Amino acid sequence: MRRLIHISMLAIACFHGSLFADHIGGDDPVSLVEDVTVHIFEDVANNLEHYSENQEALQELVRRDLIPLLDVNYAARLILGRAGRGLAKEKIDEFAESMSNLLVSRYSQGLLHFSSEVKLQVLPQRGDLNEKMTRVRTRVTLPTGGEAPVDYAFHKTSHGWKAFDVIVEGISYVTTYRNQIMPDVQANGIDNVIARLNSGQLELAE
Amino acid sequence: MLKSTSLIWLVLLSLFLAGCAGTQNRQTDPQNDPWEGFNRKVYAFNDGLDKVVRPVAVGYDKIMPDPFQRGVGNFFRNLDTPVTFVNQVLQGKLRQSGSSIGRFLLNSTVGLLGFFDVATKVGMPYYNEDLGQTLAKWGYEDSRYLMLPFFGPSTFRDGTGRLADSYIHPVGRAIHGNNEWGLWIFRGIDQRARFLDQDAELEQAYDPYVLMRDVWLQNRQYQIYDGDPPMADYDLYLEDYPEDDGATPDG
Repeated sequence: MRRLIHISMLAIACFHGSLFADHIGGDDPVSLVEDVTVHIFEDVANNLEHYSENQEALQELVRRDLIPLLDVNYAARLILGRAGRGLAKEKIDEFAESMSNLLVSRYSQGLLHFSSEVKLQVLPQRGDLNEKMTRVRTRVTLPTGGEAPVDYAFHKTSHGWKAFDVIVEGISYVTTYRNQIMPDVQANGIDNVIARLNSGQLELAE
Repeated sequence: MLKSTSLIWLVLLSLFLAGCAGTQNRQTDPQNDPWEGFNRKVYAFNDGLDKVVRPVAVGYDKIMPDPFQRGVGNFFRNLDTPVTFVNQVLQGKLRQSGSSIGRFLLNSTVGLLGFFDVATKVGMPYYNEDLGQTLAKWGYEDSRYLMLPFFGPSTFRDGTGRLADSYIHPVGRAIHGNNEWGLWIFRGIDQRARFLDQDAELEQAYDPYVLMRDVWLQNRQYQIYDGDPPMADYDLYLEDYPEDDGATPDG
């Protein structure tokens, strides 16, 4: 835990900075990360003033470009684990929706805050690409000069590769929040947890 | 003051208390934490200690400019190098151990006692090894979580390793009565200051103890595997666990 940085900040950081975008247009996970980061970064960098004054538009951009890359529902099911058993599908969708709203708002805030301060490098695919699951490795260079590794876990769905976990210095977002959310849901009920997520009291990603 | 004998005593005490601490939290993923009851008490003790340490760290963070803090971080990191070197040799990483000697010499001289990390700038990478990681590499992979008073999260393996490493660590030797307490305390404040950003998250967590444990154990795996740990077994997350999984691996 030498330099554990807010997961949100690093997740945000991945939408910044120059990339080794030498195979744009592919639908493999590495290309997906590169494409989305390049696009969002350029858009925000070019319209920084517009987006600072109009955060709705920024959230719209993030929602449009980022969310399709993610399998929020799968992440939600992983996080809920046993606590999600027996819940109506609508409840799980509602929980996933709250999580993604929170992510969109955090990412957007971070985009404005950290833009131009952080550099990101997407590392080439190596090792563990299998047919169902893989990870994309990135390195984030922080304003202090330090480097933090941020990995994305992808799995293959019927709609192509989707990311469902962020891993910062070995610390998985899904694994970590499972142990916070599961007992919370079991003790207080899913509605209570969703309500707190929606009101911003439960800081999933900060 | 806390001597090495006291530290050993604390470890023994934790062993003893482990016998009466069978309260593993069953609502979370099974972790190798059979001493959870005791660990939570030590966590509460450290949390109380933090009421004093945190304000000092906040003050330090406010007063000291960032470049100075970075220098202090470099300084203490440089002092870890002897421990890293010995453990690189023990793990058979001879090429890396040579690089660590070069780093240490360069940073201790040109880098003004390690305050400036010149070595990284000229392309000599930073490595971090300790006896806990060496023991893990040697096959002692799974060790039970152990919350140490003053030192914070650890495992039985890593706590033992830490004690052994302290004999050759310039600052760690303080616990053996070599009067480096000033440096030891300074390092503690510096390290505390680095985690101020995480305080809010920890405070808001549903279970701060579990959050700290999970984060620490995952990051430890990351260190043991030199930055390339295996991915979590996500498929397992969608399955049920047996209710009576009190049994944990040895260690």
